[in-house]
Amino acid sequence: MVMESVEMEGIKGEKGYLVVERKQNGEEKILYADQGACAVTGFALEELFGAKPDIAAKFVTEKVKFDNGHKLWILDKEGDKKQYKTRLEQINIALEDALKEAEAANRAKSNFLSNMSHDIRTPMNAIVGMASIGLAHIDEKSRVQDCLGKIQTASTHLMSLVNDVLDMSRIDSGRMTINEEIFSLADLVHDIAVIVRPQAAQKNQELQLVIGQVCEEMLVGDPLHLRQILVNIIGNAVKYTMEDGKIYAQFSQHYADDKKDVIWFDFLCEDNGIGMSSEFLKRIFVPFERVSNSTTSKIEGTGLEMAIVKKLIDQMGGEIVVQSEEGVGSKFFVKLPLFIASQNQKKQHLPVGQTVLVADEEGQEAAQAVKYLTDGGLVPVCMESGLDIVTWLTEAQYEGRMPCAMLLGRELSDMPVLELAAHVRQLAGKNFPIVLVSEQDWAQIEYRAVRAGVNAFVPCPLFQSRLLGTLSELLGGTQKDNETFSKQKTDFGRLHVLLVEDNEMNQEIAMELLSMIGVQVEAADNGVHAVETFEASEEGYFDVIFMDVQMPVMNGYEATKRIRMLSRKDAKSVWIVAMTANAFIEDVRQSREAGMNEHCSKPVDPERLQEILRKHLK
Amino acid sequence: MQPYQEEYIANLNAIIELATQKKPKEQLFEEYYAVMLANQEKIGRRIQRNIALLRDHLFPMLDNLFEAKEKELCDLQEFAGKLLDKRNELDVGLFCQIHQALLSMVRSKKNRQAMIRELYWLGIGRNNLYNKMIGLSQKDSQKYVYRMRLCFAEAAAYLKYYDEIEDRETRGYILRSRANMALGAFPSVTERIRLIKRTLQIMQDKGYQEKEPELPWDQFIYQTHQLMAATISYSKEKIMTPQDIADIMESVYIVYQRRLKEAKERGEQLPVRPLFSYYAIEYYCGLDTLDGLLTKMEALMDAANPFDVSVDGMYGIISLSAFYCQYLQDYPEKIPERSEYIESLYRRILNYVENFPEESKNETLFYYLRQLSYTFVETKASVSYKEFLQKLQVRFAPEIFIHSNVVGRAAATFCNIIMKEQPSFFDDIEEVKTIKNPEKKRHVVVEYAMECGLFHDVGKINFINLYSQTGRQWFEEEYEMAHLHTIIGEACLSERESTRLFAAIAKGHHSWYDGSRGYPETYRRLECPYRQMVDVVGVVDWLDNVTTSSRRIYTGVEKTFDEAIHEAVALEGRRFSPILTAMLRDKKVSEQIKAAFEEGRREAYQKLYKENW
Repeated sequence: MVMESVEMEGIKGEKGYLVVERKQNGEEKILYADQGACAVTGFALEELFGAKPDIAAKFVTEKVKFDNGHKLWILDKEGDKKQYKTRLEQINIALEDALKEAEAANRAKSNFLSNMSHDIRTPMNAIVGMASIGLAHIDEKSRVQDCLGKIQTASTHLMSLVNDVLDMSRIDSGRMTINEEIFSLADLVHDIAVIVRPQAAQKNQELQLVIGQVCEEMLVGDPLHLRQILVNIIGNAVKYTMEDGKIYAQFSQHYADDKKDVIWFDFLCEDNGIGMSSEFLKRIFVPFERVSNSTTSKIEGTGLEMAIVKKLIDQMGGEIVVQSEEGVGSKFFVKLPLFIASQNQKKQHLPVGQTVLVADEEGQEAAQAVKYLTDGGLVPVCMESGLDIVTWLTEAQYEGRMPCAMLLGRELSDMPVLELAAHVRQLAGKNFPIVLVSEQDWAQIEYRAVRAGVNAFVPCPLFQSRLLGTLSELLGGTQKDNETFSKQKTDFGRLHVLLVEDNEMNQEIAMELLSMIGVQVEAADNGVHAVETFEASEEGYFDVIFMDVQMPVMNGYEATKRIRMLSRKDAKSVWIVAMTANAFIEDVRQSREAGMNEHCSKPVDPERLQEILRKHLK
Repeated sequence: MQPYQEEYIANLNAIIELATQKKPKEQLFEEYYAVMLANQEKIGRRIQRNIALLRDHLFPMLDNLFEAKEKELCDLQEFAGKLLDKRNELDVGLFCQIHQALLSMVRSKKNRQAMIRELYWLGIGRNNLYNKMIGLSQKDSQKYVYRMRLCFAEAAAYLKYYDEIEDRETRGYILRSRANMALGAFPSVTERIRLIKRTLQIMQDKGYQEKEPELPWDQFIYQTHQLMAATISYSKEKIMTPQDIADIMESVYIVYQRRLKEAKERGEQLPVRPLFSYYAIEYYCGLDTLDGLLTKMEALMDAANPFDVSVDGMYGIISLSAFYCQYLQDYPEKIPERSEYIESLYRRILNYVENFPEESKNETLFYYLRQLSYTFVETKASVSYKEFLQKLQVRFAPEIFIHSNVVGRAAATFCNIIMKEQPSFFDDIEEVKTIKNPEKKRHVVVEYAMECGLFHDVGKINFINLYSQTGRQWFEEEYEMAHLHTIIGEACLSERESTRLFAAIAKGHHSWYDGSRGYPETYRRLECPYRQMVDVVGVVDWLDNVTTSSRRIYTGVEKTFDEAIHEAVALEGRRFSPILTAMLRDKKVSEQIKAAFEEGRREAYQKLYKENW
């Protein structure tokens, strides 16, 4: 900004006089001027006479009107000063405005720096402090572990802070581009669920992620930035909602009226958190603005999330509306236009007209599952009590009207779903598909669920494509009766299994069970034979070895040890499963110590065999 | 039965006999001690033999169950029947294992009748396992209830095909399974009552009765009424609806009338159980006040014959007292005016058990005492809970008591060494920190360590059959179940003043120092102010477990003392506190602990030798 300098020196108190005549047409001219006027204005008398009075206007201090309409202008150098004053005042106002602007910018910078330094310092303090504590207790592993855990948390937060700042800077500098790629809405929502659910769980909040009307699952847009928007909004709701609070997020769509290939993605996030004042609501999208009170002082955040959200939504051509009331909660509405992907969804092959048992307590999710199944041409039967389900299945089995699958929902009225799954697996046999529909992270429940007999997992919130796709995969594509139904599930054809079993009858049964499902089996009747067969095979040929423990010539433990000691790449990695009725805890331990990966009780449960094989198909 | 099965059963009986052997009169301590140690060796040999019998005979048979001959399968069922019958529980774990294998086989063979039978017996076995969970929250014990109930539910589902299943025995299994679905805890009492009501309707249905008149219908119906009447014992009046109470009332009156009639016929007095149910339902209906009910219960308990060792006698003395204390726990404002009565009540019970013949072999007595332990009301004047638990251990679980005493003595020795080197080592414990005098502080810590050892395994009392009376190594499910002793221990110790300080030790002594493994998951070392003591008890408990022959058999881990020390050091910073393992590296320290094990064992036997109720 260029500052204008005003010279005020040399202004004296001289006066001059002009007589100004006003003609009928409104024009004015100088009729008379004295020497003083020349001195004040710096013009010669001849220049003043007849001239327009404007040339002296800036020196006028007073104007006196005569009866004849003429005016006497009293001139003074001071008049110029006043003019200067007026200008100066104007300049000052401009300057003040500029200063305010500069101060505001400066304050924003200071706020930025102060926020940044506070936000950076807080995790940095934790990192430095925890590192010192850890070093001081280096011998106490649990203490060091605790410190490292805290360092990890703090550094993750620091990283997100830096990322936000970089994002903001990219958006501001116009370097942020919105991509267009095909993505699945189901994938997007599940990714979001995986991120936000643990955050809400930590605060024991009830987080409901609900799918409203979804017309198109395959869309074109920028999934990464869309995810960022939605995670930021839900993440904020989690942050600013107290423990045990409630957060409701709904994802839905509606078609655009004017464009056929565009669909509007509607997102609503409602919480019963601390809310915002109307004053703050006006500044919610200003960078570094955060609700601040005693409740929020401990909440981590840069104050950039909402600014980023707004800018991204603007760039995507969408809208965001926020409603909030202090102490009551907040509502965020987002509306974004997305293109419908032209690519066709995978064709599903479902046994139309067959029954699917839905085991879940009444509620929105069960209702949604029923709708999707009905849309897929299946016949859902809903039950919410484990005991009733077992009774119903027993009767169905007796009467030869078994459902083609069972969907296990979130909860039952009388027992945990996995307890029911374990019993139904025994009751209904190895081929009966049990699908778990759960909002939990599959990685966390896989071990327990698979052991309980669950064949497949569909994450919540439930999407039609996921549910029907999973059933289609499990049910193998064509309608078959119950007798042949068992043979169609998973394709085990590419698996090579070495079955080591000395007892002829057992060998025959196991061979039969494995061959029935298409597994390629080779048999060995003792440990030595097993080692030889494995050694003679190509590397990586065998996927699984089922090893009996008690065998003549060489037992299963010894054979496993020998195989593990072989100098070939797959010697360590081939999956070896102990098959024995020896069920003592020591036996389990001994088989592990010998290098076996799993323990399978005898008499051999066909479902257990398949469960092991299924893991290898993944 | 086959010879190996008979031998297995004989070994189990011998083990129980040896484990519960009483001191013969006039026997000197040294002689008694030598006999007891020799008994332990004998038990060890029997267990080894049983393991070999299962490995050589039973497991190969289960391996080839599809090939088994009819006679072999019958023998197997008879064998299982001996492992768990109505009166005796010899080996419920093996019972379940056998029936599970049989069920898998008959499922594959699609033998429906056999499936129903096996489902029933597996349900019975699982119910037995569930009964060990007394004192455990519903959340922690529920999986055993569900597993049991699902077996019965599946078997009961065949009721629909009652006409098609013509075998009488199978029809009996279906009906009994239907009734047994009501066993165990329910999410709501109304749910349980609904189920029993439906069962009653089925049992009373003439259609079913006429098709199988030979079945003991009267007994089925009466037992179902008993099941309904028993609902009152573990239902709180606040959670029952008027309809629930009305349903129970009908069954209570039926049971009451029948027992009254039977008693009159025999010229006996009406037993306590139906009387209590009668009084209780009057209270639930609003015909009596709680004070009125409690007074009537006191009269029943006072009138109970202290020499009656029948089930009804035990109920009157112990189980009824447990329910009485349950009411007092629910309404603590009623305790002060009854503190004297409570004191005399517990004394009376302890005397009763003292005079009970062969008390340590009586399952029912032990079950009722565990009920009493769960509802124990501790007042300043009464027997302390600490004293009660110790007596329970000595009387019913001597092996657990011996191990606990050994751990206590070793922990005390270890703490004495620690306190000499680092007087503030246990200062995270508020009660220790406030003691200024170092000598007094050391003394208090050493005493505390001893008691922590004594009560660290108190939760094992629920699983006594897994410990003192186990005749073989554990199965995986039993190993998991044994883990629950930490939670049960903590639950009972934390509830009462005299034992509160030991609760954290019971909970955490199997956790790993770095939190990576061990159990229970709910123990958070760094949040526990008693963690240093947990660490000490944890390491000495482990040392005794892996070096004492009779204990290592269950888990199959076997080490000499030096090997165990070496391994503890190797687990430094992971399983065990590095501060403690650093001390154990010092030969003098480890030798002192080894000596404390010996001393603790001898001392425990001395206590057993002298102990009277």
